[in-house]
Amino acid sequence: MIEAALERRVVVCCGAGGVGKTTVSAAVALELARRGRRAAVVTIDPARRLADALGMAGLGDEPTEADGAALRAAGAPASGQLWALQLDAKATFDRLVARYAPDEEVRERILANRIYQHLSGAVAGSQEYMAVERLHELLEDGRFDHIVLDTPPAENALDFLDAPERMTRFVGGKALRVLTAPAEDSAWLGRRALAAGTSAVMAVLRRVTGAELLDDIAEFLSSFEGMYAGFAERAGEVRSLLTSDEAAFLVVAAPEEEPAAAAVELVRRLEEDGFPFAGIVLNRVHRLPPGAPRDVDDLARRLDALGAPRAPALAAAVLEALEDARAVAIRDLDLREGLAAAAGGPAAAVIPALEREPVDVAGLAEVAGALVSPSVSAKRGPIASLG
Amino acid sequence: MAASNAPRQRGAAPVSSGPTLTSQHAIDPPLAERRLCFVLGKGGVGKSTVSAALGIAYARQGHRTLLLEVAGRDRLSRLLDRADASTEPTVVGEGLYAATIDPEEATEEYLRGQLPVRAIADVLAGSKTFRTFTQAAPGLKEMVTLGKIWSYAVELRPDQEAPEWDRLVVDAPATGHAVALLETAANVREIAQGGPIHEQAERIREVISHPAATGIAVVARPDELPVSEALDAIDRLRAAELPVAAAILNCITPRRFSDEDVAALESARALVNGSERGAIDAALAESRRAAREARHARDLEGGGVPVIRLPLLARGAGRLAGLEELASAVTDGLSQRAGVA
Repeated sequence: MIEAALERRVVVCCGAGGVGKTTVSAAVALELARRGRRAAVVTIDPARRLADALGMAGLGDEPTEADGAALRAAGAPASGQLWALQLDAKATFDRLVARYAPDEEVRERILANRIYQHLSGAVAGSQEYMAVERLHELLEDGRFDHIVLDTPPAENALDFLDAPERMTRFVGGKALRVLTAPAEDSAWLGRRALAAGTSAVMAVLRRVTGAELLDDIAEFLSSFEGMYAGFAERAGEVRSLLTSDEAAFLVVAAPEEEPAAAAVELVRRLEEDGFPFAGIVLNRVHRLPPGAPRDVDDLARRLDALGAPRAPALAAAVLEALEDARAVAIRDLDLREGLAAAAGGPAAAVIPALEREPVDVAGLAEVAGALVSPSVSAKRGPIASLG
Repeated sequence: MAASNAPRQRGAAPVSSGPTLTSQHAIDPPLAERRLCFVLGKGGVGKSTVSAALGIAYARQGHRTLLLEVAGRDRLSRLLDRADASTEPTVVGEGLYAATIDPEEATEEYLRGQLPVRAIADVLAGSKTFRTFTQAAPGLKEMVTLGKIWSYAVELRPDQEAPEWDRLVVDAPATGHAVALLETAANVREIAQGGPIHEQAERIREVISHPAATGIAVVARPDELPVSEALDAIDRLRAAELPVAAAILNCITPRRFSDEDVAALESARALVNGSERGAIDAALAESRRAAREARHARDLEGGGVPVIRLPLLARGAGRLAGLEELASAVTDGLSQRAGVA
């Protein structure tokens, strides 16, 4: 049960890639809307069919409201509002430049810079950073009681937490000063020997990269000079909100070794850095089927009586399928117990592996039901005793 | 595997003979014949496992094969028990080597190669300024990573007669990052107009965008979302003129039951209870899953690239025995496609 998280203004869903963060985020927002709240889910990479199902076919950078009639028709009536938007790092970056550039000239200079055009969407960490900027915009928007953030698919799930710092270092850091300061004005290095070293380094870099490229990079970085303070300030505001009790972090995991290990690491990092961790959501847990029948021949005879061809082989195949299903479920159970031990407690919510992927509103409603189901520990008993 | 008839081939004909293909694709060699392979896919689809299995399959065919991964994940190294995740190629099997690419080390190495005077390179490598620059320069990390992969690909044996590596398999980062990585060469070529970086970027771009040299394999699981994401990735790669050679559908449920079997099991289900019913339910659930997966596989074939199918290993592929088994499935998949092409 993730009840506490549903009271928070910002719910962040993080975890390794492929564990179902987007699905869980959308389900959290759907549940909030069902309870009469105005919830916006910020996704990075929404499945087209999910967007379609919510009546948001053209899901884009601007928040779109799900069609209430469509939700009702799918059996998930909402007395509140469900909004969704897709994070577009480049659009957010462009908007930032437009809004915070000190004047028209700087704005045009940045937008026209070749490096900006080619790499503003691809600069390391820029997508993660833009998620933070977008969150800041949405918090100021006023239309939403809750914002549910589906974190970007980072190679390292923790990147998201460090993104603001890395990004401000990038646009405001020493690299800018190194590249833009004339060699004789390198007093920031403090020591004369180092200053001399710096100009030698720059001379070498210039030779290796070609002067033009280095100048372009310098220009790119220097155009942000006047905007740096704003970047740092907003990142600071978002960070204090995310470490306050207005936020909740859900760690989404799947019962597989790597995502489970990533979840444990993520929980540790969240707690260490003072982010309000609100529980692990363990997604796609297979139910344990009952044990094998005592008498296979009996099953074979029944099948034979029904006219099944090669009944003994069919009965054996049925048992193989059962054994495989049990092996998967037992592996899930082991990982679930290992995760509970490593993370210092059982998962807050366990979502069963659904026969059909939750790619529509009905599927999401099912996931939402599992998220707020209070019977987590009750489910453990029978499953364990059957194993 | 008992009662199943071989699953009937329903739906589309093998896609490589389909009408959606341009003549360009018809003459491109199959994945197995391309020396440099990038394995892409969303998180959780089994990229590293598939990369390792592909490497094992190539090595078994007698190719001297190098597996590459980018530092930070080290998942491939863990799979192969390479405790140190060394940046030098180390032997991990017969004819099979693996190396980790560390962008920082590669940057330094690149500069050393560019600079005739060692002392200057030493100053540079030890310089805080330099490190600050390399951390901040947009796209540099991607560029040197790609440059390192390229340098392995063009490396020659000591006798200069043949390439050092017959096959290179890159366990690429998650799709979005990987496409950005592959696009870096073209981007940098545009950004750095003229100069040594421009030339370097062009040399790299030539290799990684050449369908005779490089093949990108997009890995997916047989579910709706992963398949639609793989199709999006294929479109995006094509739009960037990057050579997609195959889609790899991983973790396919075995097709154990024919339609006739399913009908018999459904009738029998009503007549039994307890553990027998539980067993039949498990079998029916598996056959429904297999049928759904077959539909997703056909969707993936709509992407216009050959689809290589790999089975789900119920007891996990993350063990050496599992990898060996998966490698055999890869070998089958590769040779089927070679035959079709």
